[in-house]
Amino acid sequence: MTGSSQTSGPDATSARAAAVSVGVDARSRGWLGSQTSRRLAFGYLLLAPASAYVLLLVGVPFLFSLYLAVSDANVGDPVANFVGLANFRAAWEMETFWIALRNSVTFLVVAAVFKSLLGTSLAFLLLQEFKGKKLVRALVVIPFTLPVAVSVLSWKWMYDSQFSVINWALHRVGLIGGYGSESWPIWLGQPHLALLACIGVNVWRTFPFTAIVLLAGFTSVPTEVLDAARVDGCSFFQRFRHVVTPMIFPILIIGFLFDTVFTLSDLSVVYLLTAGGPGNATQILPVLAYQIGIQAGSLGRGAAIALMLVPLLFPALLVMLRNLKRRDW
Amino acid sequence: MSTAVAVPRTHRQKEFRRHLLIYAGMTPFLIIAVFPVYWMLITALKQEPDLYRIDNVPFWFNLPPTLKNFETLFYQTNYGSWIVNTLTISAWVAVITLLTAVPAGYALARLRLPGAENIGIAIFMTYLVPSIILFLPLSRVVSSLGLQDSWWALVVVYPTFTIPFCTWLMMGFFKTVPMEMEEAARVDGCGQFGALVRIVLPVSLPGVLTSVIFAFTLSMQDFLYGLAFVAPGDQKPVPVGVPTELIRGDVFFWGSIMAAVLLVGLPVAILYNSFLDRFIQGITGGVGK
Repeated sequence: MTGSSQTSGPDATSARAAAVSVGVDARSRGWLGSQTSRRLAFGYLLLAPASAYVLLLVGVPFLFSLYLAVSDANVGDPVANFVGLANFRAAWEMETFWIALRNSVTFLVVAAVFKSLLGTSLAFLLLQEFKGKKLVRALVVIPFTLPVAVSVLSWKWMYDSQFSVINWALHRVGLIGGYGSESWPIWLGQPHLALLACIGVNVWRTFPFTAIVLLAGFTSVPTEVLDAARVDGCSFFQRFRHVVTPMIFPILIIGFLFDTVFTLSDLSVVYLLTAGGPGNATQILPVLAYQIGIQAGSLGRGAAIALMLVPLLFPALLVMLRNLKRRDW
Repeated sequence: MSTAVAVPRTHRQKEFRRHLLIYAGMTPFLIIAVFPVYWMLITALKQEPDLYRIDNVPFWFNLPPTLKNFETLFYQTNYGSWIVNTLTISAWVAVITLLTAVPAGYALARLRLPGAENIGIAIFMTYLVPSIILFLPLSRVVSSLGLQDSWWALVVVYPTFTIPFCTWLMMGFFKTVPMEMEEAARVDGCGQFGALVRIVLPVSLPGVLTSVIFAFTLSMQDFLYGLAFVAPGDQKPVPVGVPTELIRGDVFFWGSIMAAVLLVGLPVAILYNSFLDRFIQGITGGVGK
């Protein structure tokens, strides 16, 4: 940290107290003392609105969701009773919950594999110097910058059961039969294809992000370090393995965890494409939590299902926290 | 003489080969990335019957292009109100974010508060608490404020992710302003507040602008809060209104739908695009370094 050296102890309350009594203290503590306490009071005053907002609308609701999860709260009924772990047990006994959990994990893993492959290749291409690179880069990150609802609707149209442009192209090059034939894929209507189609949209949306994060990592490695390694006789692969990888690892981890959190908790892709169907083939935890919490109005049970994401998210958040704290300030 | 000419030529040939390889590698990525946008554009400009002729090549117009889909949007749906809602929500969110995140970022970066590092990390971590965990308790908060079924609900809720992100971002910006500038202002008789307003803020204006952009683009990325909190048709923002109001049962007016999302999606994408490096810097924690 840059400088807690000046003030060894005082927390927020004492700083504020000091600020209040500054008129009295100023003479005895001298110029420096009053400056310090005034600076602290000013600082905490500036910090207060943001902290209060986040505390009231993120911190408190998070605790409130723990409370909801152990209550029988309903949309219509304002009075909630404590029901213990009944909501969790109900989820546990629901077949759909297990399907959703399995799909969520499958979604995360399969998507991660594909976006790493695509992202890494793209990053290596963008690492080269070539004419028109700026334009190419701007075009290739479009999927990540479009609002998610917008791009999902575009994909929904491309996955249309009859007028899918993907099928049209596949049919033209002779890979599949005509509409209505056995080999004509109905992307959002066939169980396995539907999950794959949803994963595809997620990969499409986020592979540019993977690439850009990697690129940021690569370019953060000082060329002097690489030159030094070269002078010392390291081959390209040795340099990559022993110099580049360790140096960009922190950034990679952050990007990876960030993506994990947002992929696991994203409802929009699946909700807009299939709403969990056909059957429960694409059901994932966020969609299930929404359907039970809002559409069926069972706030308590919905909150319990949403909280089931926490054990999945928690390791990611912990690693991220450690990484941020190690950062050089 | 001959060698002197030959060397640059082989160099140029080598460069040409290298470029060819790179472009060849880049082409599939470009097609994958850009085609859906092209498809939206051409769908939005096509006449209805042109969308449903399976024998024609669909990549270009088979009937003359039309603006009818855009007309339908503005005259027969709530699209106009959605645009107004979206812009008003974003403006409010940007104001709230600026008024809270800029001072907080300044305090954390420059005032040597005890525990500033931990407070900063704590605020940033709240950005990573996903909306799917917060939306049910927040629905109670929204209804107890009497804001359910109005876009004001989103004005209250969106800062929960814009404030943490922009505080973090501003912290990075303020760290890059040399301390000496502020000290000089203090010596010249500015108070702490005066130094902030007269010296630090003007220098950090690009950062403030970036925060405004992110307040806008991050708000546009939301779908869940809008879906859960705002039911009346005329109160929705565009990303929620289009999928919930323009799709009725199994009837899809793809022309209008694509026109609707493109009109909003493209400007947002362009804006976001030009600030993408800042975003990546922000989340990878490379605060202003």
